[in-house]
Amino acid sequence: MLFWVIAAILTLGASLAVLLPLAGGSKGASSSSDHDLEVYRDQLAELDRDAARGMIRPAEAAEARAEIARRILRLGNADMAGKTSGRAAPVTARLVATVAVLAVPLVSWGLYSQIGSPDLPSQPLGERLAKNPADSSVDELVARAEAHLAANPSDGRGWDVLAPVYLRMQRFADAVAAYRNAIRLDGDSAARRAGLGEAIAGAAGGIVSADAQDAFEAALKLDPANAKASFYLAMALAQEGRGQEATAAWQATLAKLPPDSPWRGAIEQALAKSGGPEVASDAATKGPDAADVDAASSMSPQDREAMINTMVAGLDDKLRQNPRDAEGWMRLVRSYVVLGKADQARDALGRAIAVFGPGSEEAKKFTAFAASIGLTATE
Amino acid sequence: MVETGHFALVLAFALSLVQTIVPLFGARLSNQRLMAVGGPVAVTGFALTALSFAALASAYASSDFSLANVWENSHSLQPLIYKITGTWGNHEGSMLLWVLILTFFGALVAAFGSNLPATLRANVLAVQGAIGAAFFLFILATSNPFIRLNPAPIEGRDLNPILQDLGLAIHPPLLYLGYVGFSICFSFSVAALIEGRIDASWARWVRPWTLVAWMFLTGGIAMGSYWAYYELGWGGFWFWDPVENASFMPWLAGTALLHSAIVMEKRSALKIWTLLLAILTFSLSLLGTFLVRSGVLTSVHAFATDPTRGVFILCILTLFIGGSLALFALRASRLTAGGLFHPVSREGALVLNNLFLTTATATVLVGTLYPLAVEAFSADKISVGAPFFNLTFAPLMAPLLVVVPFGPLLAWKRGDVLGVAQRLMVAFGAALLATLVTALFIDGASVLAALGVGLAVWLILGALTDLAVKAGVGNVAVPVMVRRLVGLPRSVFGTAFAHLGLGLTVLGIVGTLCFGTEKILSMHAGETVEISGHTVRFVGLYPAQGPNYSEDRGRFELIGVSGSPVGEISSAKRFYPVRQMTTTESGIRTIFLSQLYISLGDEGKDGSVVVRLWWKPLVTLIWGGGLVMMAGAAMSLMDRRLRVGAPSRRRKQTVADASQP
Repeated sequence: MLFWVIAAILTLGASLAVLLPLAGGSKGASSSSDHDLEVYRDQLAELDRDAARGMIRPAEAAEARAEIARRILRLGNADMAGKTSGRAAPVTARLVATVAVLAVPLVSWGLYSQIGSPDLPSQPLGERLAKNPADSSVDELVARAEAHLAANPSDGRGWDVLAPVYLRMQRFADAVAAYRNAIRLDGDSAARRAGLGEAIAGAAGGIVSADAQDAFEAALKLDPANAKASFYLAMALAQEGRGQEATAAWQATLAKLPPDSPWRGAIEQALAKSGGPEVASDAATKGPDAADVDAASSMSPQDREAMINTMVAGLDDKLRQNPRDAEGWMRLVRSYVVLGKADQARDALGRAIAVFGPGSEEAKKFTAFAASIGLTATE
Repeated sequence: MVETGHFALVLAFALSLVQTIVPLFGARLSNQRLMAVGGPVAVTGFALTALSFAALASAYASSDFSLANVWENSHSLQPLIYKITGTWGNHEGSMLLWVLILTFFGALVAAFGSNLPATLRANVLAVQGAIGAAFFLFILATSNPFIRLNPAPIEGRDLNPILQDLGLAIHPPLLYLGYVGFSICFSFSVAALIEGRIDASWARWVRPWTLVAWMFLTGGIAMGSYWAYYELGWGGFWFWDPVENASFMPWLAGTALLHSAIVMEKRSALKIWTLLLAILTFSLSLLGTFLVRSGVLTSVHAFATDPTRGVFILCILTLFIGGSLALFALRASRLTAGGLFHPVSREGALVLNNLFLTTATATVLVGTLYPLAVEAFSADKISVGAPFFNLTFAPLMAPLLVVVPFGPLLAWKRGDVLGVAQRLMVAFGAALLATLVTALFIDGASVLAALGVGLAVWLILGALTDLAVKAGVGNVAVPVMVRRLVGLPRSVFGTAFAHLGLGLTVLGIVGTLCFGTEKILSMHAGETVEISGHTVRFVGLYPAQGPNYSEDRGRFELIGVSGSPVGEISSAKRFYPVRQMTTTESGIRTIFLSQLYISLGDEGKDGSVVVRLWWKPLVTLIWGGGLVMMAGAAMSLMDRRLRVGAPSRRRKQTVADASQP
């Protein structure tokens, strides 16, 4: 409401700026020849000053003076001629004035109603973070926790709470830092080490790197029954092409797991992927199956690249048909990055953001994800 | 607040339309009331644009990520100063700054233009309004900074780290004040063409505006050059980058305009040429805006790329440049020529200056646009760099610089070259001496380097000779001399300082290019290196954490003659996680007028770091000269002859007396 009042006052002010001069009296303005005369007078005075200082020689000064005098004379003649020009056509003038006065409110309100967002209030970050937590979104809560930790960076518990949230939001780089801080401040634990490993792997686009393996191994040392660490270490084996060892490791983990463990599902899925053949149509969305990978490792580099390209293209097509698949998009973006096709990766990222709308949860996740795999967002 | 700013912007656009049309009709119909609309509307339009800009700046300061523009170019962890400067550190915001300055100048004309003939004032404001309307439309249609996001993201994507620097607070505003300042000269020219006559007060008004624009443009270019020097970490101060050229061309043309406007103002000569130059100068400013904003270039200023915008600006460019030149072709023949002069005279010298400067502008224009043309027609990408400009621009400038000291000493209408040459004997002798000393006593000095030093000394002493001669040094007693010096018009000091600044800049360039040294080596902590007589010890590399970046700070100690450290230099590599970008923070220590410049390279496996060191003799003079030029322009602005009173009945009667010496 306040906005409309302000807008109305501004419009009124702008209209007055047009209206008042039009309504004002005609102040018998000076003609342009009066102005010219003023300038010539000044030029003459200046000429005298220059001549006195020797900037111009006396003969030339006299000549210049004559030139200026001639201009003044010509001015008089022009003035006589100028006076005869007729007065304004009042109808045209009045028409222009009316249109101008009407144009200000019409153009501004008409245009603003098309492009403005009058109902959206300003949202300074400070205000958003200060409001009741119950009304806040997850993002806002995280931001609030970040602000708290920025002020109290030695609050280990805070880092410990925030780290898994980062992980779920796929802000892997932040998760790595948070886990490291938690470990540094509150000491080692299997859960933190395993979380750190998962974050490092996530930041590397799902690849269980040597750093991640170190973290998982440390977790297992602290708690040999840690399912997450075992799962990812087996995954590392699978990624190295040691499929059989991976399967064995997964099966061993599965045997030790309690029946209600949430990791059962994940391991069974992984085993299914590495074991028996999969339904063909699923290959594009679920990633290559073991047979594909095996085939790939025995191919020539060109063929292998061709196969990978085909699979990525398949995923791309699938996403064109079923675009609301956030996981799929991220896999596509990552695939392009791995293939070194930064442009296509950026294009895919742009499309993904367009599907969910810029500013949506997903779009934010995509941007963070892209940043985490070293892709700068579309500019 | 945000939407108020948005609405104010739309309202300012509506007013700019009124400002274009109503005064124009008023001048046509000789209707006082219609003409009077221009002034208040221009002032109100400026106030609204300022309100809009303030709204955007406050959204940046308070990290309001519900604006897409803020979200894309800001981050809550940035220091407040960079949050605020981030307002114009992006395409949309910088265009808003552009129109803010445009409307500001329009408002100044409205506020201080009471001594202008009414029709001229009305036409000037109308043209100014038209430029404003075009750019307001551009902003609203393609680059609106007030696009909202709902729901608002919680964190922004950070400002380009290269721009997170104090330079952003100074360089773009100065540069835009310069660019856009020339719009006033343009508006005056087009207004004169519309009227078909040039009022005598025309030049009196155009010259101070040219001075203002030129002063800010000089400062903007110098500041930009220094910023690139210390931020990019390559140690260069000028790269002949197309974006730099884009600001340099209006500067060259503006310098020519500044000089031809003097002739026109003092002697009512060169009217048509001055008019054309004013149009060309602003056209080059528009071209610069187009080149930078459309993304047709890929360069260090790579923060704006969008083809739709490019086409829009191209349309604006065609409309204003094409329109004004067509108007010029139609109307120029109706304008009357002014005073006569002998080829060897102050006027003649200024014409010579114009010839050289416009040729130089054309050279830079070709060097800048040729690669674009090649790319457009053959898909090849070539770059025209320093070698081209060294071969073309430098030989053009050298003769101009040689004759600069003659100009201010020549008399108006008919000058005496021999007499002037005699007066310049001292400066010439000193320059010759400087050349010989450089060639004989400095190791590794080439003939060109020696001549360069001589040229710089010639320029500096030539400028001082001008002051000395006008004060009557050698001819009159000291007290009289001092009195005459103090009594000289400010514009004489302005000329002398501007030319002096030019000499200083030339000296700085010659010193840095010809006598600078460079070392690249891999250093371990504790090692020392010697460069041009200065010993530097590498203390070590220390990690540190900034508000929104982490850095590795390399600390260096400057070792004095006694072997103990006399100063510390630190150079850093910063990593900004949000944009995943690395920047270099070069370490610079100024020793008298020269600088020791250190920049860090990659870290080796064994803990060593690649270090690049430069010794840059007299390098500060390059930008110091720019500041002196600015000071010259400021002095010239204070000259009383630029203040022309409005006509009054009482004064008219005194004209007759004044015309008698």
